[in-house]
Amino acid sequence: MRSGLNIIIFRVLPVLGILLLGFVWLAPAFLAHAAAGSLVIYSGRKEKAIKPVVEAFTKLTGIPVDLKVGKTSGLANEIRMEKSTPRGDLFISTEGGIMEILAKEGLFDPYQSPKTKAVPGDFKSTSGMWTGISGRARIILYNKNLVREKDVPRSVFDLTKPQWKGKLAIAGTRERTTLAWVSTLVAEKGEAFTRDYLKGLHANGLKILADNTEVWQGVGRGEFAIGLTNSPNYYLAKKNGLPVGVAYPDQGPSDIGTPISPNAAAVIKGAANRDAAHRFIDFVLSPDGQRILVTADYEIPIIPGMDPGEVLPAKAIKTPKTSEERLAELAEPTLKLLAGLSPDW
Amino acid sequence: MKDAQPNAIATMPAGTVSADRKSSPFMALLFILSAMAAGLVLSPLLYLLSSALKPGALQAISVPTVVTLAGKTLALATLATVWAMVLALPLAWLVIRTDVPGRSLFRWLGVIPLAIPSYIAALTYIALLGPVGTVNSWLTALTGVHGQWVNIYGYWGGIFVLGLVTYPYIFLLVCGALESTNPAVEETARSLGEGRLGVFRRITLPMLRPSILAGGLLVFLYAMSDFGSLSLLRVHVFTTEIYHQLNTRFDQSASAMLSFVLVLITIAVLLGQRVLLNRGSYVTVTGTARVARPIPLGRWRWPGFALACSILGLSVFIPLAVLLSQAGSAGQLAEVFGEQWGFLKNSLGLASATALAAVLIGLVVAQTGRRIKPAGSGIPGIVQLGYAIPGTVLGLSLILLYNTYAPWLYGTVALLIVAYLIRFLTQAVQGVDAALAGINPHLEEAARSLAATPSRVLRQVLAPLLRPTLFGVCALVFISTMKELDATLLLRPAGFDTLPVRVYIHTVEAEYAKAAALSLMLIGFTALPWLVVTRLREKKLI
Repeated sequence: MRSGLNIIIFRVLPVLGILLLGFVWLAPAFLAHAAAGSLVIYSGRKEKAIKPVVEAFTKLTGIPVDLKVGKTSGLANEIRMEKSTPRGDLFISTEGGIMEILAKEGLFDPYQSPKTKAVPGDFKSTSGMWTGISGRARIILYNKNLVREKDVPRSVFDLTKPQWKGKLAIAGTRERTTLAWVSTLVAEKGEAFTRDYLKGLHANGLKILADNTEVWQGVGRGEFAIGLTNSPNYYLAKKNGLPVGVAYPDQGPSDIGTPISPNAAAVIKGAANRDAAHRFIDFVLSPDGQRILVTADYEIPIIPGMDPGEVLPAKAIKTPKTSEERLAELAEPTLKLLAGLSPDW
Repeated sequence: MKDAQPNAIATMPAGTVSADRKSSPFMALLFILSAMAAGLVLSPLLYLLSSALKPGALQAISVPTVVTLAGKTLALATLATVWAMVLALPLAWLVIRTDVPGRSLFRWLGVIPLAIPSYIAALTYIALLGPVGTVNSWLTALTGVHGQWVNIYGYWGGIFVLGLVTYPYIFLLVCGALESTNPAVEETARSLGEGRLGVFRRITLPMLRPSILAGGLLVFLYAMSDFGSLSLLRVHVFTTEIYHQLNTRFDQSASAMLSFVLVLITIAVLLGQRVLLNRGSYVTVTGTARVARPIPLGRWRWPGFALACSILGLSVFIPLAVLLSQAGSAGQLAEVFGEQWGFLKNSLGLASATALAAVLIGLVVAQTGRRIKPAGSGIPGIVQLGYAIPGTVLGLSLILLYNTYAPWLYGTVALLIVAYLIRFLTQAVQGVDAALAGINPHLEEAARSLAATPSRVLRQVLAPLLRPTLFGVCALVFISTMKELDATLLLRPAGFDTLPVRVYIHTVEAEYAKAAALSLMLIGFTALPWLVVTRLREKKLI
């Protein structure tokens, strides 16, 4: 027993003491939260697309920003988990439906920027919970070496034709824009029609990939002739020197059009830096902010009258009139529909 | 440790040593610390269980789906483990027991695959063996026939890549065991007329069994919980389904339920390993181990060399060559290095802190499991369960737990260390436990009976025998932490990125040159401490 006590006094305590000292010394570094006063942005938009905007914002306002970039869905989950003690101030997503879902769960604070009025009604929340900041259209991306100009499909519904067998790719629902696209089809054409159409795509050997990067890379490198993806990916592939072409499908007078998904921003409820978050939204909707989004990632400007550069502007694209609220309602049934067709979605 | 004359050469079956030692405060402290480690791991598990038991968890996903997924996942993990053994065992035997040329270099290089994150290995092999990869275009150019000759995507590709990046777990432990088993036993058996094969089957293999099982277990559990490479290779398994339920459907109960099934499978596997280990094990009675005289391979030297080269070629040279070719010129590489220095610092700091903590906790937990019976014997098992929780699920569980109950810890770097410990303590416990298994408990008993205090036993008897293992374990946890991505993505404080997070971001954004340069940086700095430790050990400096 005595030896045991000695051990504690002479051997264990010094070690514990040293560890404690070490901890006290290191603790400030380990326990440091994001610097107070920094605007914390959770961005589902790529770093390449959002960072230039953030840098310009900091330069203009002097407000430092801590940026956390990830997948929209993962960050949305994080915001849901953090509900009791929110850590982020502003959420930027790649799609509107998810904003409606989070808004319904009471995770956002409404904000009407003076500029929000200029944002078309389809691209903002009716209750002011979120606002679109830019857009991306659903496109057919094709490899120019594998598809002749005259064969380029003009409608997504042409893709079930036998000539495209084994040549098609799409990202799974891990990409919210894929989910939004299928939900739009359900809204416009009905569930039975959509199921038959998707069955037709599966019969044609549609490959479901992890994300849109895989789609445009796969098409660009010739693994697939045709990919269903979003408009910035066309410009991105072209910039990377890949032989790709683009078709905005279903643009005829009797066709349904192709959806434009808004990239959207919302202030997280309980945000510590609400004013800074408001100022950021103001900035993104300003001509400077819009210009950066267009040039950095070829996004479609959301404020009418902005110079879209080489990007096809929203007014030149025929779109279906499915609201983001409707898309949010359809999310779960659509996922069920897709799960019934293939586990790969 | 110098080669000493073996004074008492014998091996004997290790029976259970009587544990009726008087409980000392030292033991009590050991127990309390171990219980705390178990609590650390159990908290997210209990959270998972509570969400899995919510009504409706089984609605979203049917039982047959779960069973099919479980079958596919188990088969994948089993085949990956077999593949890893096929790679590891010949290489270990060649470098430790034979005179194959370049053996010490091979021993160094054999660890490098561990430093290559599975998702990076998958990306390099996709670039090489994908449908439009380098090999297919070469073959097309060569034969003039347009077509997909090879395709890495799918189930077999997943097994191939996982085996390549995990075989060092087995290689390392088996190398250590081959070095520390007393060659005199084998030599005696030879002199008594037993053939080479007989010696291997009846002497060497039984002595290697704990190491093979421990390494195999790490490979198996790694394969079962891997997400990154399997998702890239388009394999549909448990982890990818969990990710889908969690991040697309936002269905926490379904993902918690699936994760819990994964944990149950892990429990079964751990119990299975225990049963196998207890079926007769052998310990060396002497404290000193002499290094075996290498077996001359004769005309098999160069074929042996070629075999070692091809194993390392597949697992080290090819991925590194692909990355180098993607990364561009040396100037570009240097530029990326300079630019990303801060992220490297983040990664190195985190990994060192985690490795140190894991070794200390691993030592405490393993010793508790072996010496405090029956109260402590379950603790190592509990601590090892954390390995089964997929990183994404662990990340979200910890967010909810710590943001609610310890908000001062959440959003800090310290929480990242907690997550890493939960994920990687298994490696520390397995490693230390396997080493303790090879030490005769009677050795410790004898020291104690000569009135040595427990701490003196630890310092003078156990520490010298354990030292190589402890350094090895430290390096292993360091390596795993350096590579961790899934939990880090969720738990990192805003504005605090690690190297794997940067690789991920640049890969998603298709900046492959940058991603490749960063991958090389990550691999280099992940492997470096290990190489230093091995070098120092060779020079007998530690």
